[in-house]
Amino acid sequence: MMSISFMIILTTTSTNKMTGILSYEFVLHALEAALLASISCGFIGAYIVARRMVFISGGITHASFGGIGLGYFLGINPILGAAVFSILSAFGIRIVSKQTDIREDSAIGILWSFGMAVGIIFIYLTPGYAPNLMSYLFGSILTVTPTDLAMMGILAVVTVVIFLMFYRTILFISFDEEYARSHNAPVETFNYLMLTLVALVIVINIRVAGIILVISYLTIPQSTANLFVNDLKKIIFLSTIISFSGSVAGLFISYYYNIPSGATIIFVFVLIFMIARFLQYLRNLKQRGNPIV
Amino acid sequence: MKELIQLNNVTAGYDNGIVLRDVTMSIVQHDFIGVIGPNGGGKTTLIKLILGLIKPFSGSIKRFDNEAGSFIGYLPQQSHIDRKFPITVQDIVLSGLMSAGKGFNRYTFRDKKLAIDLLDQIGISHLAARTAAELSGGQLQRVFICRALISSPKLLILDEPNTFVDNRFEHEMYELLQEFNKKMAIMIISHDVGTISYFVKTIACVNTNLHYHPSNIITEEQLAGYNCPLQIITHGNIPHTVLQKHDHSHDHDEHFIHDHSHDHKHE
Repeated sequence: MMSISFMIILTTTSTNKMTGILSYEFVLHALEAALLASISCGFIGAYIVARRMVFISGGITHASFGGIGLGYFLGINPILGAAVFSILSAFGIRIVSKQTDIREDSAIGILWSFGMAVGIIFIYLTPGYAPNLMSYLFGSILTVTPTDLAMMGILAVVTVVIFLMFYRTILFISFDEEYARSHNAPVETFNYLMLTLVALVIVINIRVAGIILVISYLTIPQSTANLFVNDLKKIIFLSTIISFSGSVAGLFISYYYNIPSGATIIFVFVLIFMIARFLQYLRNLKQRGNPIV
Repeated sequence: MKELIQLNNVTAGYDNGIVLRDVTMSIVQHDFIGVIGPNGGGKTTLIKLILGLIKPFSGSIKRFDNEAGSFIGYLPQQSHIDRKFPITVQDIVLSGLMSAGKGFNRYTFRDKKLAIDLLDQIGISHLAARTAAELSGGQLQRVFICRALISSPKLLILDEPNTFVDNRFEHEMYELLQEFNKKMAIMIISHDVGTISYFVKTIACVNTNLHYHPSNIITEEQLAGYNCPLQIITHGNIPHTVLQKHDHSHDHDEHFIHDHSHDHKHE
C-alpha cells in the first residue's frame, strides 16, 4: 500500500501538481486524517501540556506497542490490542504511583519498556512476517482507510463534546486538585475519564503519526500556542490551527520532495515552533528596548 | 452561638502513623482562631480533617452545613500550585463555586459578575483577564482569597497565608480578614505567632494534641505548658507585651488589642 502511494507520487508530472495532488483519494484521506488528528490532539494535547503529563503520555504510547504485538499474535486488529494496553498502562501508572511507594516516573519507565518488550516478543512469535509493522512505528498518514477515519472522527467528536460539557470542571481539577477535592468535586472520576481519553487519542493517532512520533502531535503545536496564549481554551484553539496547517504543509513538502510524510510533518511543527520562539524573542527584545508603556 | 464544626475525640494521621491524637474542639460563628504549632505538629492535618480531605482513624467530625461545598472557604498553601498553569484570574476565582453537583459548566453571568466584584473589592479587578503566570505571589494570593470568598462561606480557613506575601499586603490582608470576620468564622494557620496573635481572638496550639487557648494573649510559659515549643518572634510594630508573661492585670489603654481580647472574653 505504502509503495503504491509512493509510486503514484513519483509518476505525477510536475506541471499540474497542485490540482493533481488533490485528485488522489489517498491525499484527501490524508488531509481528513490530519484535520481529525489536529482536533483530538489539539484538545487532549493542551490538557497534557497544561498538566505536565508529557512523560506519562510517552509511556502510554510506547506501552501500547505490547498490544500491537498481541494483536498480530492473536490475529485481531492491532489497534484494538493497543487500545487495551494503553488504557491499562495509563491506569497502572496512576494506581502504582498513588498506592505504592514506587515513584511515578519510575513506574512510567518500567511500563514503557515492558510494553515494548512484550510487543517485540509477540511479533517474533507470530508466524510469517508482520505486515504494516513499520506503519505502526512511524505512522502512515497516506494509507489511512475509511475505517481509520471513522474511528478518528468518532473520537474527535467525543473529545470535543466532553470538553464543551465539562470544560471548567476539567480546568479547575487540573489547576488545583486538592482544592477541587475540598469542594467535593468528582476529582478521581474526571482524572480517570481524562486518562482514558488520553490513552484513546494516543492509540487512534498512532495510525497517523506512529508510536515514535505521536507525542509530537500532542506537544509541539501546544507548546507553540503556549508561547502566545496562556489560557487553556485559547491553547486548544490555537494549537488545533497550528497542528492542521503544519500537517498540510508537511504533507505537501513530503509529496514534492518524496520524503516520509510523518517525519516531514514533525519537522514542520518544530520549524514553526522555532520561528514562533524567535519572533517572541524579538518582541521581548523590542519591549525591553522601549520600556515606556 | 451557632456551632459550625465540631470535632469529638478525633485521632487521625497517615499510613506512617498518628499525627493528631484525641482532638476535641468546636468552631462557632464569628470565631477568629489562630492555629499555631511546630512543623509536623498536625496543623495542616487538622485543616484537612475539617475540609473532609482525609478521614479520621477514630472520633467524629460534624459539619453543621446545609449547602455542601460552599460552606467552607479555603486558602491552601501556595507551594503545590503550578504557577505556569494556563488559567485566567477570573476562572481561578470562579473555581471557588465548584461543587459536586456542578459538573456541567453552569457558571452564569451572575457568577462571573460576582467574581469581578470580589476582585474589585480586593483591588485587582484590572487583572481579571490575566493569567496566573503573569501575577506576583502577592497578587495570586489575593486571587486565591477571592476564590475562597466567592461562595460566601460560613468558615474561612487559611493555611500559612503570609508565606508568599509582601509585608505591605500582609498587613492589608489582616485588616481585610477582620472585616470578613463580621460575616464568617476564620481559622488561620501560621508560623508567625507574633503577628497573628495581634489579630485573632483565640489560639489553638497543635502538637499532636490540641490545646485551646481562649484568648489571643499567650506567653512562652503557657506555650510550653501546652507542649507547644515555639519561639516567639516579636516585631517592631507589634506590641511585645502581648506575647510576654502576663500577670492578668493588663494595661488597658496600652494597645487596642488588649481591649479587643477582653471584649471577646466578655461576649
